[in-house]
This record gives sequence, structure tokens and C-alpha cells, in this order.
Amino acid sequence: MKNAMHTIPLRLRFYAFSGIYAVSFLLLTVLNLPAQVANASPFKAANFYQAKENKISLQIKNEKLQAILEKIEKKSGYAFVYSNDEINTEQKLSVNAKDKNIGDLLREIFTPIHIGYEIVKDKIILKPAKTAVPLAAGSSGLTSDFIPEAATAPMKTDTLIEGRVVDENKNGVGNVNIKLKGSTLGTTTNATGYFSLRIPDDQRNGVLVFSSIGYALREVPIDGQKKLVIQMNAESKDLGEVVIVGYGTQRKVSVTGAVDNIGKKAIEGRPVTNLSTALQGVSPNLIIQQRNFEPGQGVNINIRGLGTLGDNTPLVVIDGISGGDLNLINPNDIESISILKDAGTAAIYGSRAANGVILITTKKGRKNEKPTVAYNGIYGVQTPHISYKPVHAWENAYYKNESLVNSGLSPAFTPEQILELKNRGDGDWRVDNIVHDAGQQSHNITISGGGPTGTYLLSAGFLDQQNNFIGPNYGYKRYNIRFNQSNEIGKLKLNTILSYVKVEGKDHSYASGTLMVDASRVPLYYSFQDSAGNYLTNPVSAQFNPKAILEKGGYRKSNDDEIFGNFSAEYPVIKDLKLRGVFGGTVRSNHSFGRRMQLNFIPGGVYGDDREVFDNNFKSLFTNIQLIAEYNKTIQKHYIQVLVGGANESYKQEKNALYQTLTDSALGIPTSSTKIDATRSFNSNGTDLSDGNPATIETSINSLFGRASYSYNDRYFAEVDFRYDGSSKFAKSNRWGFFPSASAGWRISEESFMDGIRSVVNNLKIRSSYGMLGNQNVNAYQYQTAFYNYPNAYGFNNTVVSGAGYRLGNPSLTWEKAATFNIGFDATVLNRRLDFSFDYFDKTTSDILYGRRDVPQLFGAGFPDYNVAKVKNRGWELRANYNWPGKLINQTFSVNLADNLNELLALTYGASEQVETKEEFEIVRKVGQPITVYQGYKRDGYFQNLDDINKAPRFANSTVTAGDIKFKDRNGDGVIDDKDKYILGNPFPRYTFGFTYTAAIKGFDLQIFIQGVGKRDAMIRGEQVEPFHVGYGGTMYTHQTDYWTPSNPNAKYPRLAENGTASNKNNFRTGSDLYLFNAAYARLKNVQLGYTIPARITSKAHIQKARLYVTGQNLITLSKLQFLDPEITEFDNNESLGAGANSARAYFMPIFYGFGLDVTF
Amino acid sequence: MMKMHCHMCTKKIFCYTVLSAALLVLVTACKKLDLAPSDRYTDLTFWQSDNNVNSALNNIYSGIYTSDRIFYNEALSDNAFTKLGGSSSVDAISSGNFTPSLPRFLNDWGYYYGGIKSCNIFLENVDKNSSIADAVKNRMKAEVRFIRAWHHFNLMKWWGDVPLLKKDITPDEAKVAVRAPRTEVLQFVLDELDAAAAALPANTQYAKTDLGRITRGAALALKARVLLYEGNRMSDVVAICEQLINNQAQNGTYALAANYTDLFSDKVINKESNESIFALQYVPQLKTWGDYLDFAPISVGARTNNLSPTQELVNAYIMTNGKQISDAGSGYDENNPYKNRDPRLAATIVYDQYKWVNPDGSTQIIYIKPGSSPAGQGANEYSRAGQGTASGYYWRKYWDPNYSAPGFSSGLNLHLIRYAEVLLMYAEAKNALGQMSADVWNQTIRALRLRAGFTDAGALDFPGNVSNMTQIIQNERRCELAMEGIRIDDLRRWKLAETVLNGWAHGAKYGDASVDNGYIQVQLRVFDKSKHYLWPIPPSETSLDINLGQNFGY
Repeated sequence: MKNAMHTIPLRLRFYAFSGIYAVSFLLLTVLNLPAQVANASPFKAANFYQAKENKISLQIKNEKLQAILEKIEKKSGYAFVYSNDEINTEQKLSVNAKDKNIGDLLREIFTPIHIGYEIVKDKIILKPAKTAVPLAAGSSGLTSDFIPEAATAPMKTDTLIEGRVVDENKNGVGNVNIKLKGSTLGTTTNATGYFSLRIPDDQRNGVLVFSSIGYALREVPIDGQKKLVIQMNAESKDLGEVVIVGYGTQRKVSVTGAVDNIGKKAIEGRPVTNLSTALQGVSPNLIIQQRNFEPGQGVNINIRGLGTLGDNTPLVVIDGISGGDLNLINPNDIESISILKDAGTAAIYGSRAANGVILITTKKGRKNEKPTVAYNGIYGVQTPHISYKPVHAWENAYYKNESLVNSGLSPAFTPEQILELKNRGDGDWRVDNIVHDAGQQSHNITISGGGPTGTYLLSAGFLDQQNNFIGPNYGYKRYNIRFNQSNEIGKLKLNTILSYVKVEGKDHSYASGTLMVDASRVPLYYSFQDSAGNYLTNPVSAQFNPKAILEKGGYRKSNDDEIFGNFSAEYPVIKDLKLRGVFGGTVRSNHSFGRRMQLNFIPGGVYGDDREVFDNNFKSLFTNIQLIAEYNKTIQKHYIQVLVGGANESYKQEKNALYQTLTDSALGIPTSSTKIDATRSFNSNGTDLSDGNPATIETSINSLFGRASYSYNDRYFAEVDFRYDGSSKFAKSNRWGFFPSASAGWRISEESFMDGIRSVVNNLKIRSSYGMLGNQNVNAYQYQTAFYNYPNAYGFNNTVVSGAGYRLGNPSLTWEKAATFNIGFDATVLNRRLDFSFDYFDKTTSDILYGRRDVPQLFGAGFPDYNVAKVKNRGWELRANYNWPGKLINQTFSVNLADNLNELLALTYGASEQVETKEEFEIVRKVGQPITVYQGYKRDGYFQNLDDINKAPRFANSTVTAGDIKFKDRNGDGVIDDKDKYILGNPFPRYTFGFTYTAAIKGFDLQIFIQGVGKRDAMIRGEQVEPFHVGYGGTMYTHQTDYWTPSNPNAKYPRLAENGTASNKNNFRTGSDLYLFNAAYARLKNVQLGYTIPARITSKAHIQKARLYVTGQNLITLSKLQFLDPEITEFDNNESLGAGANSARAYFMPIFYGFGLDVTF
Repeated sequence: MMKMHCHMCTKKIFCYTVLSAALLVLVTACKKLDLAPSDRYTDLTFWQSDNNVNSALNNIYSGIYTSDRIFYNEALSDNAFTKLGGSSSVDAISSGNFTPSLPRFLNDWGYYYGGIKSCNIFLENVDKNSSIADAVKNRMKAEVRFIRAWHHFNLMKWWGDVPLLKKDITPDEAKVAVRAPRTEVLQFVLDELDAAAAALPANTQYAKTDLGRITRGAALALKARVLLYEGNRMSDVVAICEQLINNQAQNGTYALAANYTDLFSDKVINKESNESIFALQYVPQLKTWGDYLDFAPISVGARTNNLSPTQELVNAYIMTNGKQISDAGSGYDENNPYKNRDPRLAATIVYDQYKWVNPDGSTQIIYIKPGSSPAGQGANEYSRAGQGTASGYYWRKYWDPNYSAPGFSSGLNLHLIRYAEVLLMYAEAKNALGQMSADVWNQTIRALRLRAGFTDAGALDFPGNVSNMTQIIQNERRCELAMEGIRIDDLRRWKLAETVLNGWAHGAKYGDASVDNGYIQVQLRVFDKSKHYLWPIPPSETSLDINLGQNFGY
């Protein structure tokens, strides 16, 4: 028995403890088990040798050889002996053996991979086959030393079968095992999928068995054919699949929490410019929203909606180091993404996990893989999508007259003038003329490979997204370089990940929203330029000419660098225990520089007369030290994993800013009149005057964390996780927080009572978790009361003096705590074609950090955050994938759908409501409602006649006219006032969904991706809603012409009336559901149609694979909201009440059309 | 290849490893978590530094008042109209069509109480500093007490009974604060101003570098205004004004500036004239206000006009002969309405064909009458469809010709109390007491009109005890102080608001001749005398502090 253990080669054990894939050591420890048990464990293994079976059945798909060896050992009682220098146990194989004797089994496995074997007592010794075997050589080529059966029974091989194995896309598949059924004969395909095999004549009607990792096994009757083309279908579902979880990996089958794994396929081929937009719609309840679509802009990311009033940003962990930026990573570098949604999976990240965690793993090279060079590129054009149109100039004159006359004023245009406008035609002052089609391209090259003790991957990427605004080369460029490398030095495993990102952005010198609105609300009486090219202004845009600003008004340039490094070492201290040390971090260095040029317009108006020049510098260093001990043990069917670790994460950022005005008009350099703007300039030891925070901020978190998981027979699973965090953001006594979770799973499908229906229900697991997560996303230093100085507070004797403000501290500040419950199930049915999962969650976050709202403003000062609010957030997620392989066409359907709805349970101390007026309407935080809701009046039709006017309730002192809006008198007191307001809507998306369809037919592939939101309310104001908006808007739009007239009493909009009139005040200065819009939408987000050039053509150019495709993004959007993209929100990802009202002026959504090329050498 | 392990060894190694791992974890995780910002002081150390005490005081000064309150409060009165709302929807108040949740109410309420808190914190902590001389500290405290009284006065002016905060309050105290009777607030304001006046230096006693600090004269002048607003304390007003007018050795040297326009536009006189008693201090390019961007004619570089003088204000300016335009024999010509008018009209308001002087001394004609301008110069024209003036008038007073600074940002001081107002208060109080005389007239109205540029005896000479002397004084006050934010206070204390703030506010005669004689109807106004003399307590405040209650009618 001791011998049995000691025959396990040391190298093999090394692999068991060192691999980052849990599956490997899980299975290897299974292999180790018997000896262990016999010696020391309380478990009996009396029947160990009886376990040796005469006949062995083994079904393995796409697993590493070492895992296969283990299984065989377990089933057979033999132990394998070999040298890792000679045998590559990392290679993946599939085995499909039923009731085979050990000799046949070994032959089937080892022959195609050129491994010889010898059975000596209870050991099986593995050696490489002695002679190199050319691919497609026909026979096994093994020497008789190692295949006694073959040697003793040579077969006559005189029929040559030739063929090719291809995948759904008609790409050749290399390394496929091909066996003549019932014989020892076999071969493998070469890199481009070709094979040849000699078989005995009497086997011409035999059956060939094709097996390969990642593909469903196929048995093909030869039927006397000599040329065969075999299509293998991808076998994506695999119980051996692993998912990345916090500080490690887990087999998917054993996951007990809610983790969603997103593969690189979800991103590939899409012309997305950053990862965050790429993730929209790919995972249920991973909610991505945009505030505008300008190149280089960030997005709002929420996992499972809103759980806190504070920062809802999920923790992003890239290659084990937290604090990554989704906008900077090259999407092409991503291998997989795990979305940790519940406490069961996220508690190990403790105090920062309450908003969920996004774990990103980048691509790596593979051991024993020859160098591969891959190129991916996309080139295309972005077309601005502006969905509103101003009415013609002459029409606008007509409407304006009507508005004036309705207001008791004389018309502004005579009929002759209107006719003249009609004859003259429209001017060109419209938003369409400050935008143009803009190019977008990305190129990536990846070189990867590996030897026996190391792997490498080097990638370089380039993205160039031009801005749709006209002007000198506005746009966003990103350069990515990544280097991932692993080395083994004896038992020590070293891993290095380095990446460098440079971002170069250039945009105009003004505010995009203002440019949009200045260009879009001027009536078409006017043009941007006169015939001599001079830039004009007009009475509506009297100050600025947006075209001039874009073309000549200056610029802002950003030049940002990020260096990321992760160095880890792993060492198996003893057999079941390994230690891992990680040092990683990120250096960011951002610089922006901008200039405003002075422009004088005709007849008046001036832009940039401050001739400002600015520099902003930002530098940050994030470091992370981790030390982790991991213990794995398998005892028979019991599997135990314990992981404990300690970590420190420290962050420091420094900023400075210099603003100079009245600089030299040509060069922007200082002159004698130049001033430093002290209200915006600051040094790094000062205060960032834009937000009042210190220019230098330092934070640190010390942590202990751990996980213990137990599983029995891959059927019952239990896990506990914890993290103990101490944060510098809190005072000493409130600094440390403990965040535990527990979870359990049960694979019902493994129970014997399911035996009868296992062919239908292939897998069914229920799982549940409960735990406490934390959130500390608050500004640093808030627990300390402080005085801060600021310049230019006041002046004495014409000389400025500085002032000192007072900022209250809250020494009792501590963590937010989110009690999170999750229950879900995963099921695979219909012969593994359909799998789906469902999760329900219920999260209550208490001690939410929020300012006090219970104190009247007569207190006289603002407050820091207090642990006061409470939010309940519930929802569900559904995911389903269906594979529909066909003879000609393979199709997949995948859909995800989710909902979340939060409720504010407590706001702050006694106060249950916070109302913020945003222009006309209000946004509100109110206990019993979702975190942030719109509030205002509800309309009740129009005043249609005098009787109505006399009887219907209205605002005190208001004068109304027929055609004005009636409001609902909620409390029935006969007058409309503050008490009649309703909660009008919830601006957060609900019923978010994504749908992906793929089809492959011959060399063609098609992918369609639809994404959308089932329910969202948006309150939108401004010129797009109100004709001649206040005094600023000069034109009406085609979507506004359905307004009340006596002959159109049920119009969409009330009667036209000038700003300042009682009618206008009643209709438009009152925040009502007139401004409420349904922002639900479904968007054809991406369509890809590709063609893979047959390998028989490309292989001549030594190209493994070449795929050409056309791709389009944001092609069609279905929504009731027409004049603004329905995705655009005015809120950030915590729906802060500080958001300004949405005035429909955001940078529009571009539509992308382009083509791509993927080539692998 | 093969290596022996014994299980005892394994166990030992295991234990050892776990121990050392734990140790290492502790070592690596041991990072200091007590981190302090580098750019700010804690309340323990802050007051010890003299610089910080000065900065805290400067901060209190910076919170005295704002330019937009000065200017846009004109639109609360019959002097002006704001079409875009501005400053938290002032237009809603003037139209009478507002609810108590209108942001303006909470903005003002919060602004004044924020100022009071800064004052109270200062007064309660400044003695932690031991290095500033007591005399200086006492002066500082008096400055702060003046400002605290000023804030309470403003609160009382708008709301009547308000919480009186003589000391810094805690959040819990704020939640149960009660409104002190207006009389109690008044008495506190008066007492504090007395105390400040006693402790503060006169303007002549300050060093030049302290120009702009609150003086004894300012405390007295503010006290006079507070009492004037009471309406029934006129003899006290007279007494204080006489202290300022007659006892300048004691209370500071004050006089009218030689030139009305210079007081608002000349970079030296605006700041250094001893007409200025209390002013918001600005510094060119460094501490500026930029409201003029929405006031000036479009052609001089302004954007959408947002504060337009009314025809009513224009009409208030008398003829150079001293007569009201409506008076018989005034010589007023409706077709040439700006001719022979009070010189302060042109110093304050831009009307059609106004000759605008550019910073470089060149001039341009401002064509406002629709269709009157030469080709290409129509930007300033009145148009219902345009972004120019809503009334047919633009502003000129306070325009800053000194710096062609970006965005009309101006470093000119904004007067809060000037000597002219003291003279007007004196005239009003004397008249109210039935003591108007040629002497008083000559000391006040005549002096102001002389300075304004009147030469006609009809305007300058004491008209005798005419029946409309009250109106003459009120009108003088309106024209002299136009665009200084005073008019709405006057209308409220004179109880004229219910008369002049009901009905249409008008613009120039560019409208339909059949409506209001052709004068543009700019805004229909409602002032409900039963309640609008007091503002509503912001509902968000009353809901957080039920002790506050609400003013009548809201």
C-alpha cells in the first residue's frame, strides 16, 4: 500500500499542488487517496484492490491527461509512473471507453499521442514512443516494446482512408484522435485537420471514432469511402469546466454561489471600444448604462441594481489585483470574466464586495504549445444617429406666430416674410452639420505559446475611435501591451503579468451638451457661416457658434498611462498545501492639457476670450500584497479545500493643476497680462478645488480572508467564506469589519432516484448562499473634522485674501453592511442541449453611508456621511442556452433576463424624504419607494372650455386658457398645490435582457446580439419637449407639432404659448408627467456575418485560420422614446440626487458599420 | 524522480508551514491605517494659527451676500423682469405663481443660516488663539457680530419670526429650534449692531490695507436701515443718520462721490470713494462677479438677456426740470422719451439708440426698436422671438469698462450701503416726522441730484412742503438706488407691493398699440397682500423641525 503511494511520481504530485486549476489537484488527490486512507485516515478502504476492475468504463471530455490518469488509477487500481520531462500531462484529451480492458483502454488513449506504456505489477510505466511519428502516418508507429498486443498481432493495412476533420465553421480541427473501432489502429489529424489512415481491407465497412477535446465524440461508418470530411461539433458543456472565483478557481459543478462566467466569445468580433460597453447585455443583472456616447466616456455599471445610496460601483479585479479599470484593458486580451453576484462568491472580497465583483482573467500561453501568432482587426465607420429634426424655417415662423398670438402678442412674422422664408429655404444651422461620419479601427496581435516549463503570451493592441464631431482630429486612441509569462523552477512556480496602456484623447474645448444644444435649437432661418466663411451668431445663439468652436476653438488633450504588474510565486510546501505570494499593483499617470482660443463672431459674441491654458496631472500608485495558503484534500468522495490569506491594499493619489488665463493668443504661453487662476490651480499638498477633496489622498486596507469548502461525491457542496478588513477610511474604533458567508449546493441529478431521467435531466443543482458584504466607497478622511483653506475668498483693498471653511467629521463612521441571500438552480436538459439557470436574491443593506437629511438647513452646515440609510434590493436572473446542432447548420440561442427592484427602508435618522428640484420636476428619495424616483404632477387632459376653466382645480393665482394642461387634484381639495404631486417613475432599468443567436453553416457564421431594457422611466425636459423652450429655444421640432388647438383637442402637447405667459407657466414650468417618457428599448446591438476561408486554401500560406466578417453595432433601436437615445441617463450609477435634469443634449449614439479580419498563423 | 515522505514529517511540516504562513500574513498585512490629509487642519490645531483665524474671518466675509441676490432681487420688484428665472426662479415669486417649495426660499434660508453658523463657530473658537492681540481679536469679533446681525436682519426681512441663533447649535438643537418673535430678532440685531459700533474702528482708523472691512459707520448705517424698515422708529433713524452726517470725526468720513457713474464703474472711485459704507469687495480677475453677461446689450458681447429694466422704472426718472414725466408741463415727449431726463437714467439703463461707450472709448449705437437698426446690427433689437431684451431695455449701471475680462467678469465692488442711502434715509425719516425742510432737502435730495448732474433749479431747489413729498423721496430713492437690490425692500415696507406688483409689468412701446397703449406686456404679476409680505418657511424645513410652523397663507 505504501508502494502504491510512492509510485506516484513527484512531478505529478507537484502538478497536483501547483496548478491554478482546481480540477487538476482535485482529481490528482483522488488518485492519491488510497494510500493515504490506508495509513492514516479514519476512512476505510478495505476494498482498494478489489476496486481494480476487469472492465473499465471511462467517459472523459476535454480533460488533462493527468486527470485522466487519476481516474484510471482510481478505477483500475494501477498506478502510473512517468517522468514529467517526458510525458506532457497537461495536454487535454477525451476518452470514451465502455467496458474496456485495461490494455485496450491504454492503447486507445496513448497510441494517438505517441506514448508508450508498460504494465509492471500494479504500476503502469509511461514512456514516450521511441520514434517520432509523423502526423497522419497511418499507424500508431509505436514500437513493439510498448505495445505487445500490436506486436503480437500485426494487421494487414492496405486501404488508405484520407480525410479532414472540420468544425462548425469548416475550420480544420487539429489533434483529433481517430480510432478504427474495435481495433488498435488510429491516428491524429494535423494542425489543419487532415489525416490519413491505413486500415485492413476487411475493415472498409468499419467505423471510425473521432474524439477531441472540446468536441462531441463522433462515430462515422466508413461505408467503403476513401475520402471523408467529418464535422465535429463543439461540446461546450463540460462538468470539468472551471470558473474563476475570488483568489482561485472552482469547478463549475461545485459552485454554490451566484457567479456568472463570461467567455471571450461574448466580446469577440464586436466593434466595442472598451470592455464595459462590451459587457452590456451579456450577463443578467449586469447593468450597463451610458450618460452619453462620446468616445472615451465611461459608463455606469451596476450588478444587481442599486443596493446603496452611496457608490454602487462593483469591485473590479484583474488577474487577482483589485482596482482595475474596465475602460483601459484591451478587450482582446480577455480570456474570461466572472461576475460575482452574491455573498457566497463575493464575501471573500469583504468590505468592497457589496456591489458585486467583476473578476477578469487575461489570456495566457499554454504549455507545450508551438508559437501562435494571431491578428484581429476591425475597421469601420461610425455614423451619428440624431433622431430629431427641426421644422423648416417658414414652418417655424408660422408656429412662432401662433405662439405669440396665443399669448396675446402680435405676430413676429408677416405672411410675406413667411413666404420669403419658404422661398429662400432653410439655413444650415443644424446639428447634422457639426457632426460627420467618423472612422473606428482596432488592431491586435497576439503571440503565444509555451514549453514544458513555461508559457508566454505577448499581445499588442491599438484602438482608434474618431469623434463624430467635426473639427481637427478629435478622438480617442488606446495602445495596449500585455505580457503574461509563467515559469517553473523545480517546484516553484512563478508567474508574471505586465501590461501597459496608453490613452491619447483629444476633444474640443467646450461642453459637448452645450454644443449640441446650440446647434440644434436655432431655427433654420440661420446658417453657421456667411458666404465669406465668417462664423455667425444669431438672436437665438447670440454668444457662440458651435461650428466655430469645434473647428477653431481649441482643444483638450489627455495623455494617460497605466502600468500594471502582478508577480506571483507558488510553492507546494507539502503535498496538500501550497503557499502563494502575490505582489501586484497599478501605476497610473494621467495628464491633460488644454487650450481655448479666442473666436470673435459676427455680428457679436466671443468665445474663449479668457484664452485659457491648463495642465492637470494625476498620479496614483496602488499596491497589493497577498499571501495565501491553500490546502486541498480528498478523502474518498470527500473533498476539502481550505484557503486562508492575508493582504494589504494601499493606494495613494496625487494631483496638481495649473490654469492660466489671458495667455498669448498664438502660442498660449504666458505674457505680461497672464493670470494664474488660483481658484482652480492647486499643488499636490493642497486641495483639489473642483471637488474640495485633498489633492493627495492615501488609503489602505488590511485584510484577512479565507474560504473553506467541502463537497461529497460531487453531489453535496458546502462552503464558508470570510473576510476581515480594516480600513483607513474609518476611525480606529470602527475600522475593522467581519464579512462572512455560507453557501450550500445539492446536485439532485446525481441522486440515484434521478437515474431514470438522467438522460433528460442531465444536470440539476440547487444552491443557496447567505452572507454579509461590506461597502466602504466613501471619501477618505471623513471621520476627521477639518478646516480647509481656499484662495480668493474675498478682497480687501483690492487684494485677494484666502478663506477657511469648516468640514464636519463623523468619528463614528463605519462600514455599510449588506445581508445578502441568494437561491438558484442550474439545470442541463435535453441531451445537454439546453441549459439554464435561475437565481433569486434578496439583499438588505444597512448602515448605508449617507449625509444627514434629518436636520433642517438652519443648522447651517453640511454633513459628512453617517451610517444611516437602509435599502432592500430584490430581484432575479434567468439564463438559458440552447445548442441546436444540425446536419448543415449549427445554431445556438442564448437569452438572459433579469429584474431588480430596490426599496428605501430608511433614509437618515428621522427623515423619510429628500426632495431635490431639478428644473421643472423633482427627484426624490423617499422611504417605501425605489432609491431614486421622479416626482411631479399628473396630467388630467386639457382645459377644453370655459366651463372647465371655471370648475377644474388649478394652481392658486394661475390663469389658464383652453388648451392648457389640467392636473390631477390628488387630494381633492379643489386646488393644485405641492400636496398633489405623485411619484411618477423609477429611472433605473428593470427587465434588462440580452439575446444572442449564432448560426454556422459551412464556412459562414452569423451572430446576432440584441440587448434592451424592459422598463425604465425617464423624465426629460428642454427644447425637445417644450416648443421654444423658455427663451433659449428658437425652433420647434417635427415631433412637437401635435399640439392643442380647438380642432385638435386631444393633442400630445398643450397649446403653444410664450415663455412668461400664464399658460406656459402652467403647462411647462410645472413638473408633470408631460416630461415623463417610457425609456424601454430593444436594440440590435451587434450583427456579425463571417466567413472562414477553408483551411485547405489558407494552409498553403501557413495560416491556421482566416476569418473575414462584417460587423455592425447599434443597428436598430426599438423604443417609444424617439428624440433621444433611450439608453441615455442623467444619473451616475448610484442615482445621486446631484444629477442634473436630463435635457436631451447628450452626445448621440453612433451606429457602426465595418468589417473585421481574424488570422491565426 | 521518486522521493519518500513519511506522514509524521508531513504533519510537522504542515504545522510549521501554517504557522509561518500566518506569521507572514500578519507581517505583510501590517500597514498603518491612521492616515491624515495633508491639506487641512483639525479643529484642535486650526485656531492656534493667526493666519487661520484671519482665513476663517475672510470666509465669513465671503458669505455676506452674493451678486445675484443684489441684481435679481430687482426682478422681485417693479424695476426689472427676469425671463429665464435666474437665481432660483425669482420670476415665479414676482408672478405670484409659486409654491412654498420654490428653491429660492430654501436657498436664501440656508444661505443666511450657513453664514450665521460660520459666525458662531468663529465667536466660540477664536479665543483658542492666544497670539493675536486682544484688541485685534475684539475688532474681529465685532466684525463677525455685525455680519451675524446682517444675516438675522435679512431673515427677519423676508420671513418675520425666525430662529434666533446667538450661539452655534448642534444638529439636535436645530431639529427643535423655534422661531423667535420678530421683535426679539429685531432687538438682537439692534443690540449687536450697537455692540459692533462700539468696538469697531471708523473708516479713517483702519489701515489702507483693511479697506473694505466693516466699520463703525457701517454698523450705524445698517442700524439706521433696520430701524427705517420698521417704519415706526423714524426718530431713531434721524438720530443715527445725524451721527453719520454730523459726527464724522467719531464715526468716519463719508461724502458723496463726485460722479454717479464713477461710483459704479471707475476702478478707483468704486472702491475708495468715501461714499461707500458697506460693500461686497471684489478684486479684478481674481475675485469677480459675472452677472453682466446676461444684462448687457447682445452686441457688446452678452448672451441671452435675463434681467430687463421695466418701462415703470424708466418712467420713474424725472425730467431734468424736476417734473415727473406725467406732470403737466414736464415736456415729456412719448416719441422721444429719453430726452431731458434725469442723468441717472442714462447711467443706469440702455434704451433705444443709446450711445454705448466701449472699453476702448469708441462708441456704438444700441438699436433696440424693432426694425430700426442698420443691416447687420439687429442683435440688440427687441424681438419676441429673440434672445435680447424682454422689455426693450438693457442695463448700463455697474458695467465694468476697466478690464475686457473674460465673460464680463468684473472686479468692481457691489455697494450694500452707501452714503447716498444714508442721506435718503435721513430725508425719509425727517419727512415722516414732518420735519422736512429746505436744509434737510439741500443736505439730501439736492445733494444727490447735483451729483447726478442736474442743473435745473426746478430739480434742485426745495419745492416746499408739497403734498407729494413722500412720493418724491420714494422716487428719488428708486432712481438713485436702482439695480442695487433695495427696491423690493422698499415696496414691502411701504406696503406698496400690493399695488405696484399686481398687474402687468411693461416694456418699451414696441407692442400692439391696442394693448396697454402699445407698451409691451412683459409679465403679469400677482402680489397677495394677505400673505406675500412674508415668504413661506421652506416646507423641507418645517417637516424636519415641526416647531417652526408656517407663515400665514402657505
